[in-house]
Amino acid sequence: MPSPVSTAALRQRAPRLAEAAVERARLTVVPRARTRAARVPFVSLVTLLLLGGVVGLLLFNTSMQQSSFTATSLEQRATLLSAREESLGMQLENLRDPQVVARKAQQLGMRVPAAPLFLDLADGSVEGDPAGARIVSPVLLDPRPAARPSLLDPPATVVAPAEGVLSDGRGDAAAAERGGRNGAEARAEKRAEKQAKRAEKQAKKAEKKAKKAKKAAKEKAKKKAEQRAKKNRDA
Amino acid sequence: MSTTRQPRRGAPQVRLRIGFVLIAMVLSVFGGRLIQLQGLDPGSYAAMAAAEGSRDVVLPATRGDILDRNGEPLAESVDGVMVIADPALVNTDEAGNPVDRAPQLAKLLATKLDVDYVTVLERLRRTDTRFQYMARSVPAAKAAHVLDRARARGFDGLTTQRDPIRVYPAGDVAANLVGFLGTPLADGTPQPLAGFERTFDSQLSGTDGSARYSVAAGQKIPLGEQTVVEAVDGEDLTTTIDRELQWYVQRVLRETVYGARADSGVAIVMDSRTGEVLSLADYPTYDANEPLESDEADLGSRAMSDVYEPGSVEKVLTLGALVDAGRVTPRTRLTVPSSLARQDRSIGDWFDHGTIKLTLAGVLAKSSNIGTVLAADKFEGDELRDYLTAFGLGEPTGVGVRGESAGIVPSGSLWTSQTQDRVAFGQSVSVNALQMAAAINTVANGGVRVDPSLVRGSATTDTGEQVGTETTTSRRVLSEEAARKTMLMMERVVDPDAGVAPRAQVPGYRVAGKTGTAQRASSECGCYDDTFTVSFAGFAPADDPRFTVYVVVQNPRNGGGGGSVAGPAFSQIMGYALRRYAVPPTSTKPSDLPVEW
Repeated sequence: MPSPVSTAALRQRAPRLAEAAVERARLTVVPRARTRAARVPFVSLVTLLLLGGVVGLLLFNTSMQQSSFTATSLEQRATLLSAREESLGMQLENLRDPQVVARKAQQLGMRVPAAPLFLDLADGSVEGDPAGARIVSPVLLDPRPAARPSLLDPPATVVAPAEGVLSDGRGDAAAAERGGRNGAEARAEKRAEKQAKRAEKQAKKAEKKAKKAKKAAKEKAKKKAEQRAKKNRDA
Repeated sequence: MSTTRQPRRGAPQVRLRIGFVLIAMVLSVFGGRLIQLQGLDPGSYAAMAAAEGSRDVVLPATRGDILDRNGEPLAESVDGVMVIADPALVNTDEAGNPVDRAPQLAKLLATKLDVDYVTVLERLRRTDTRFQYMARSVPAAKAAHVLDRARARGFDGLTTQRDPIRVYPAGDVAANLVGFLGTPLADGTPQPLAGFERTFDSQLSGTDGSARYSVAAGQKIPLGEQTVVEAVDGEDLTTTIDRELQWYVQRVLRETVYGARADSGVAIVMDSRTGEVLSLADYPTYDANEPLESDEADLGSRAMSDVYEPGSVEKVLTLGALVDAGRVTPRTRLTVPSSLARQDRSIGDWFDHGTIKLTLAGVLAKSSNIGTVLAADKFEGDELRDYLTAFGLGEPTGVGVRGESAGIVPSGSLWTSQTQDRVAFGQSVSVNALQMAAAINTVANGGVRVDPSLVRGSATTDTGEQVGTETTTSRRVLSEEAARKTMLMMERVVDPDAGVAPRAQVPGYRVAGKTGTAQRASSECGCYDDTFTVSFAGFAPADDPRFTVYVVVQNPRNGGGGGSVAGPAFSQIMGYALRRYAVPPTSTKPSDLPVEW
């Protein structure tokens, strides 16, 4: 707590001091110093940022769309190529089929030996039975053709002509054909039959000719004899 | 002022009220709609919104391949499509006028896709439908090419859909084991119908995946919705089959069956040490690519499903067991009469003879029934039966082939002394071919029976069984010494002087084997008809066996026996296997056990 003496002294001096201080410290309203920042750079910056952002976003989107298109088309291409690879692989597998390889080998004259021989590279000796290696047999590659279904060869229908009715040759031939012979066989038979008929005809012709000739000769002889007889008579 | 306007606008309160009512009405309509959309069935609306502009795609799982032991494919999957036409679009030109394009398009498809012109033409002319199959199971590359060609020529209305193709590159090779697929369902799901394809379908088929993405104008929208569930491809199934060997065995078997004018045949090649089946051939067989062209009876595996009486091949097991039990040795002397009267009937041999003096080796080499029965008299109780069961007869091999028959070893009251007499030389007991091959392989493998296997590693069948090389077990049936002695006796069978099957020899190699000629039991008369099962089982090199080969031919009509029909086939197959696996001859002296005394 300050002493009463000092406070009294202060009070005495105070108005004088305060007056000066107040005089010095009086605030006056100062006009606002408005330093106007340049507007143009800011606006252009913002505009630039905005524009840049929008354009950038647009470009980014476009490029993404573009790459998506590319991705799709590349994917399609990849699918197509892998399908192609698969089909080529399939062809390759078909070529590697043991059956195909064996067929080609047999066409080249290769055969499966009954037993192998071993050549020792160290001393050049041969292990195994050389006779066995010479026993070779071709492999039967293909199955026999499937048996002809019995449906195609029904039992022959034998038609016995009724008594007193002449059997029809044509009908018989047709029945024989239905009776299970295949076309080629039947045709061959027909051909043979025709040939036989032709030969028969020719033989008949020759016979006729011979007969004719005989007749002619007879007649000639007769005529001659007659003539001779006439001459004799005339004489 | 207010007095003049009042009549026109009305009191503000009235106006406000009317306004509020109007607003409330509009809002309640909105609210009602909101409840309709969000309260009642919001899910379907969400789905509809999502479906708008988005596309669901199935990502197909690729079916696993079936491979042979070297990774060569026995069955593989190829991307395929079905070609579909919309007849209405095909027969309309760009301007929408009807035209008749069906003949031209049918011609194009018929030449490019190997389909029937008339069938396609008829389908393209139909007016009552807009969906017609043009071709199914077309390789994707080929279909794309044809569609491009069609589009270039101005044909419209052709589309494709997934339709996977299963190809069997080697055709009939191992077809009886591998099986086949039927025509896939409309959504491309394969239909396994037989063989491994069906048994191991869950392993082979895999799980389809799915993808969903937003689409605009046929293109994916980047940053749009995109969910992908990857497909899980099916696993490959690796078998123990050797494709090349299997092919050769099938061809030799076919030739043998042809030559003997027989009904069917089976040939098996086993790795003696591991029990892996390198080849299991059936004839008649079928082309797995065209299963419908064959008889339905030929689509399974006769080697596994058909049981028969093994005949004399079984003598190996009987005599091996006797030697193991210490009752006889290969030199045991037997006096064999011309026929042996037993309780219910007399037993004879396949060859006429007076009383002959054969050693045990001779009994096997000459395949004497009487000698075998005399030797088998030394068994005590059910000993023979126990041995046969230990050899694996009467129980399924469990290799994972569908429809395996276990065969029959008579038991309990059915096992009488008469039964034992007949079982001793291979009658009254029935086996499937693989069981018998595994039993003979026991002798080849030094007396240890290994379970045969057809699948490499491990796989689960559709009935939940684990099969494969990883799950096989082995057990000792004969002592090593007994197995060796049996081998030495078997070697005399192929001896030109001592034995009955010199044509089973493989030049340069020691071969041990046994012929079999058994009467076939007919299910119709319940008796033996006059047909036979002829067979030959053996292994080589005899003193260090690598392969066991078993050839069975059913009902030969050329009067041949096991030595003359199955023996040469055995020799060819064994020679090929030894060459393919580069097994050199052992160059040791062959067995010279006496056959007579």
